[in-house]
Amino acid sequence: MKVKVIIAAVVIVAFIIFGAVSFLDSNVEYTDFSKAEKMNKKVQVKGEWVKDKESTFDAKSDQFIFYMKDDNEQEAKVVFDGAKPNNFELAKSIVAKGRYQDGYFHATEILTKCPSKYQGDSTAVNKTL
Amino acid sequence: MVGSIIIRTAFAAALLATLLYYLVHRKRSSVLLKYARLAYRTAVAGMVSAAGLLIYLIMTHQFHYAYVWNYSSTDLPGPLLFSTFYAGQEGSFSLWAFYTSIVGLVLMWYSSKKGYEAELMLIYSAILSFLLLMIIVKNPFAYIWDLFPKDLIHSGPIPAGVTNFVWLDQAKGLWAQYPSEGKGLNPLLQNYWMVIHPQVLFIGFTSMSVPFAYAVAGMLRRDYVSWIRVSTPWTVFGAMILGTGIVMGGFWAYETLGWGGYWGWDPVENSSLIPWLVCVASIHTMLSQRRSGSFIKTNFILSIFCFMMVLYSTFLTRSGVLGDTSVHSFVEPGMLVYWLLLAGLFLFASIGFGLFFSRMKEMPKVPVGHSFLSREFALFLGSSAIVFAALFIVIGTSSPIITGILKGKVSAVDSSYYVTTTLPLGICIAILAGVGQLLWWKNSDTESLMKSLRIPVGLALLFTLGSFIAGAHQVAMLIFLCASSFALFTNSIVGYRIFRGNPKMAGGSIAHIGLSLMFLGFVASAKYDNKETISLEEGKQVQAMGYTMRYLGYHPIERGRFAFDVEVERGGEKFIVAPVMFNNKESEGLMRNPDIINLMTKDFYVSPLSLEAPDSKNEQDLTIEKDEVQQFDGMSIQYTGYSFATSPEKGNVVTVNLEVTKGGKTEHLTPEMQNQRGKVIYVPATLENSDVSFTIKGMGLGNGGRGKSSVTVTVATPLAAGQQQKAETLIVEASIKPFINLVWIGTITLVAGFLITIVRRAGEARRNAQG
Repeated sequence: MKVKVIIAAVVIVAFIIFGAVSFLDSNVEYTDFSKAEKMNKKVQVKGEWVKDKESTFDAKSDQFIFYMKDDNEQEAKVVFDGAKPNNFELAKSIVAKGRYQDGYFHATEILTKCPSKYQGDSTAVNKTL
Repeated sequence: MVGSIIIRTAFAAALLATLLYYLVHRKRSSVLLKYARLAYRTAVAGMVSAAGLLIYLIMTHQFHYAYVWNYSSTDLPGPLLFSTFYAGQEGSFSLWAFYTSIVGLVLMWYSSKKGYEAELMLIYSAILSFLLLMIIVKNPFAYIWDLFPKDLIHSGPIPAGVTNFVWLDQAKGLWAQYPSEGKGLNPLLQNYWMVIHPQVLFIGFTSMSVPFAYAVAGMLRRDYVSWIRVSTPWTVFGAMILGTGIVMGGFWAYETLGWGGYWGWDPVENSSLIPWLVCVASIHTMLSQRRSGSFIKTNFILSIFCFMMVLYSTFLTRSGVLGDTSVHSFVEPGMLVYWLLLAGLFLFASIGFGLFFSRMKEMPKVPVGHSFLSREFALFLGSSAIVFAALFIVIGTSSPIITGILKGKVSAVDSSYYVTTTLPLGICIAILAGVGQLLWWKNSDTESLMKSLRIPVGLALLFTLGSFIAGAHQVAMLIFLCASSFALFTNSIVGYRIFRGNPKMAGGSIAHIGLSLMFLGFVASAKYDNKETISLEEGKQVQAMGYTMRYLGYHPIERGRFAFDVEVERGGEKFIVAPVMFNNKESEGLMRNPDIINLMTKDFYVSPLSLEAPDSKNEQDLTIEKDEVQQFDGMSIQYTGYSFATSPEKGNVVTVNLEVTKGGKTEHLTPEMQNQRGKVIYVPATLENSDVSFTIKGMGLGNGGRGKSSVTVTVATPLAAGQQQKAETLIVEASIKPFINLVWIGTITLVAGFLITIVRRAGEARRNAQG
């Protein structure tokens, strides 16, 4: 019986350590552009798409290039591996996951957050009157 | 107004039913039982009529209700219009409450036959009350002018021409205007799956509360053993429906959203997977308890957790705690919902676990009567592996909360976390799903086990060798393939034998066959897919990944969408794929849907990226500093400065001054950049008597305004004679997903296995109640 308990305990502890290590390993920190520039690792930055600046899709490299402003109003060029995401224009804010390198933010993943349907959305209601 | 009253009445009735069933539990009075049933049925009637009313409001476009305005519009076709019922948070809670109320009627009938009604319906009515309270707080019947009082509520005379108004208080001259059109349904959701998938998923969520209710009923009745006989068919039913719903969601994402995959480890996806895993784990330990009597406590805990995980997942995805870490998460629903969800979680957890700890000592202790080489032990290990997988996923999904508490800074795990942690568990599960079928109850003898292992292990090794030759070289993947194919072969052999004896008993084997097919499909389609971005000039053949592709042009399809026809040829066979792109009116954004050629052994997946207009001009970007002169194409161009102005029609205007000299003649050009409330328009300037145009592309203010400013302009010159004009070009991402059909076939097989098991266990429960 004792052997059983020990084996079970070892297995469980091993799994927990394994889980904890993977957790810490794959945790992608939220930060801003100025900090991302200093850290040479994968991070995520929340911000807004700068619509006035050019955004292009480069078909040769399959990359979408645009400018983004983080919550501290700092702007950076973002190169995203992929096409312009669906709902990109609609997004209230965007989250780019990737790393800062060679003067731009190289994003491998982009999340778009759609605007709150209710709060202060009076332009929308006036449009449909 | 009527809607809100109906929901409040239903809530009161459900609470009353809870109370009356409690009294029935204490006093066993048949008169009270009659009233309790009446109260519950009243709650159901209320919920059903509220749902009916909401559907009526949606179908008749009553935009003075905020919910209807927010999610529907007059241009939606019938089924999609109907589906806007659950497009928002208010409606999806209503859908959940609706199915919970209906399932309760079946449960009332079922449990009264088995003698569990009072206790079961007591807790079940409490669950319904909770859901109804949610829709009192998130009321789908709120008027739109209550949300936008400043914009919509007016006083005084009604201006001529305004017809869409309602009097709020005619004596005071108070009236409200309401919209004549709704905001419409998110175009990503405009798909037939929107009609089916959420409904299946919410029936699944509803059924997760049944094992919990049975566990609580069992403890209230001090019946620690036989409740699982009554509960098992429902647990399996829940696993079947929720599983179907999850895969449907994956299929939807794969087929129309163009994410390229069917699973992204997004919190919303995880939140339905977690309760499903717990539910499946409990099916296995319940089976063990039926045979040997052990695992009594485990079954209580797992059944309670099943429902807790539904509530916790709902909390994660609906309260806004995950913030920006999910694609789906609804935007901040308000603090009240947050606290209510949390309170519900604590209430039901304390009912479940409170009862469990107070009754734990009474529960019969069954000495372990099985050895390591027994089916019971394999079932136990299997359930543990599944629970661990659920645990890892819960932790990963909760990572924004965990890191928020520990580090004070919110962050989410990368999707690779889920793959790393669940892969070893998947391997364990596959091995156990095979070995478990070869073991006897109580004890097996090593020699006969080894003998029965020979064929499936041999076949699995052959299969793995084959995969290696076919190109799978990663060790972890080879082990997973080996384990999964072992499970497949074992269950096929054992299942065939059982099926010939009594098909009703083969549910387990069939479900495991389905699972192993899914595992194989996961590896092949997700790990060994092949992707390429391809530019398709109209009419020209392009070779890629062994296919010949040719873009034929586009044609309009329904509702302002366009299909882009691409001819795909391979080995003499021709197919047409027609991925879709369209501009969404609301956001002016481009929406894309992929198209797929489904071949027996693979899918050819074509996702549109963009359409490039034909080139009729040479374009070149020039960046010029202030006062600098640049030479380009026989012209000298000087940038002399810019000016800034604001006008009501044009908005904020930046005008750039250029001096362009061509052929000895100098012209003053002023291209403009207008910013009209965030919408930027570039107005080009063109040289007189020649087709050269200048468009602003960007401005540099130079070192915070202290240095020289600069401008980037795009200079478009006509094509020189004999220069080839480039045709319209469609850019697509094409990918090959090998053996993805295994995922879908595996799912169907798994569901069939569940179905057979339900029939068998329901029959046993019936005979048990009679005998």
